Amino acid sequence: MTENDPMCSEVETFDLLDQLHQILDCDPLIDELGFIHPSQLMMLNEGDSRLGSELSTTGEVERKNNIFWSREHKLGISTDYLLPLYKAAKHKFMDAYETYKKHFSLSLENDNMDSSCAFPEIEDEVMKNSKALLLLSSDFGTAWNARKLVISKREDFLISDELLLSALVLSLAPKSESSWNYRRWVIKRIARRCSTLEDIVEKESELVEKIAEKSTMNYRAWNHRSWLISYMTSEQALRELNVNKHWAALHVTDNSCFHYRRKLMLRILGDVSHGKVADTCITQFGSLKLIWKDEVDWNEVLIRRYIGREALWLHRRFLSVYWVKHFGTAQHGISPLPIEKGNKDNHVSVFIDNEVNLVQDCLNLPDSIFEDVQSQAIHSAAYLLWLNREILSSSTINLDQKLGADDLRTLLNKICPEKITVWDSLLREKTDAC
Amino acid sequence: MVELVAEKHAQYIISVEKKKDTFESVVMEHLRMNGAYWGLTTLDLLGKLQVVDQDEVISWVMECQHESGGFGGNVGHDPHILYTLSAVQVLALFDKLHVLDIAKMLWECKMKMDLFQETCGEKLIQVCCLSLLHQLDKIDVEKAVNYIVRCKNLDGGFGCTPGGESHAGQVFCCVGALAIMGSLHHVDKDLLGWWLCERQVKSGGLNGRPEKLPDVCYSWWVLSSLIMIDRVHWIDKEKLIKFILDCQDLEKGGISDRPDDAVDVFHTYFGVAGLSLLQYPGVKAVDPAYALPVDVVNKILIGW
Repeated sequence: MTENDPMCSEVETFDLLDQLHQILDCDPLIDELGFIHPSQLMMLNEGDSRLGSELSTTGEVERKNNIFWSREHKLGISTDYLLPLYKAAKHKFMDAYETYKKHFSLSLENDNMDSSCAFPEIEDEVMKNSKALLLLSSDFGTAWNARKLVISKREDFLISDELLLSALVLSLAPKSESSWNYRRWVIKRIARRCSTLEDIVEKESELVEKIAEKSTMNYRAWNHRSWLISYMTSEQALRELNVNKHWAALHVTDNSCFHYRRKLMLRILGDVSHGKVADTCITQFGSLKLIWKDEVDWNEVLIRRYIGREALWLHRRFLSVYWVKHFGTAQHGISPLPIEKGNKDNHVSVFIDNEVNLVQDCLNLPDSIFEDVQSQAIHSAAYLLWLNREILSSSTINLDQKLGADDLRTLLNKICPEKITVWDSLLREKTDAC
Repeated sequence: MVELVAEKHAQYIISVEKKKDTFESVVMEHLRMNGAYWGLTTLDLLGKLQVVDQDEVISWVMECQHESGGFGGNVGHDPHILYTLSAVQVLALFDKLHVLDIAKMLWECKMKMDLFQETCGEKLIQVCCLSLLHQLDKIDVEKAVNYIVRCKNLDGGFGCTPGGESHAGQVFCCVGALAIMGSLHHVDKDLLGWWLCERQVKSGGLNGRPEKLPDVCYSWWVLSSLIMIDRVHWIDKEKLIKFILDCQDLEKGGISDRPDDAVDVFHTYFGVAGLSLLQYPGVKAVDPAYALPVDVVNKILIGW
């Protein structure tokens, strides 16, 4: 089918749009959207025919045409019809939005006009057509704005509808910033009304995980999940850290996931240091120091198992700085008092010994065509450089002494000689320029 | 060694402008203002801006402006600062900033932004816009700088908001904004330089975050940041040039995110701009903070 096909006459494109509206109305729980090549659509329809006609349940529409396919809350649209559908949806939406804005400004001028019950049909047109448009063009900002405008005039809007729509859009376009933004706008509105958001936050978190499974290292999805942390209770944050561990271990290249863990840990650290965490909560999960140690040890296990994974080493950089800074010589929790220099250095020295051990093991791996041994060497040497610059610059511990045969500079030069300028700059004394 | 096929890229950009009736092009309608900025700046960097009908472009740009002063992504679309900046940049290319009502622009770029600004990307947009309009003194620079500094992470990089994951695009926004506000001394240049040079992968291309694939657009975000903090010698420039050139479609013109992928205007712009930063012959110099040709920026900031 080409753009010149008679099927794309104006009347017929609006009919297409009506069909889409009908499908969306009949199944408000559609949670996955895809654009399908016509040949695949045909195969799906043929598959349905073979299964027999006992397909539709109450509320589902059986579509055996070559444009839409809808079953079990999934919707497919033939790629051949996307352009005419878009044109029709955009036309109707822009018209409706224009009309809505005109009426809206009129009602502002006439104070005696009750705007809360005014023009429901126009509202409906705006909502219906913006929905169709957004399914086709997820970042059509004006359409999201229109929904915000309509909703902000209504006290009774259905949160679930808006969350369902944005989730549906995200199923097709997981990086759509406008969709993530819209979800945050909706949640902020709910937050004003609800005393506890726990349920919603939990569901949001699960949604992100589901999307992150298919759309790896999705910055916007994880950024959204991190945003939720400020709406979590301390207990929830601790639970998230625990629950996420399993997923993280299966996705060790997902730097965004580990960044999320860092944010959770910082949140917990912050809450503990400000006395905001109930005793029962901390004892349930162990002291904060144990939580941190657990993360450090677990990270080491992953580093040894998954060779050459940058995200794991970067996570360790963060963990080591905070470990040394906060968990000095204290037995439990964090030590708020200044630590005697001698004791602290001793503790740090023990920690560094372990790190040097780990690095040396990673530097001496046997060559392998299956494992990224070279990357492991680079990352481990860079990690030493990090320790040297970020932790040891303010202590009397000499890393070179601990390394033995090759000092740090020699080591870095051996592994990555083309970056010697970089290494020399980073090895010199830190200035106060930050 | 592959060379830059400048003429083909110019033809590609012009052909994209004309092609408006496919699904792929209509779903970009709402950000046409950005597309105009990418396409026209590329043409200028290649010394080919004259092929465009200047009056037609400017007339369309102004049609996208709203009463409030802000610009939409296309005619009839709601205003958004992202498109306002692109509009300002396009007008700058044609030396037509004087057609703008400064009072309205101030409202859009300062007052509204102060109320709604949420990310450091938006902060760069604000600072860049106001600077090009000679109104930078109208904002609280210290407050803006403090916000950006809060977006600095332990690893030396910057996220989109305080505590956000370090991302090369966000690094550019923060470093660019600090550069425009004369506040680069807040950056630990060695630490950030290190994070940035770790973006270069084996193929010579640059990625935006750890473990990600290289992408030509990071030739801009990472490279311009490195230049602004004076650490560009920390990456292998030759390898990067080769990577960008390998991303060209030598037949039809245009540049893609990585070799053998489909081309688009966005990556064509960033590829050419990246080559400019690497001083590739035949490409005009580009300003790393304003992302406009240096002669355009100089004329605006110094020529008035």
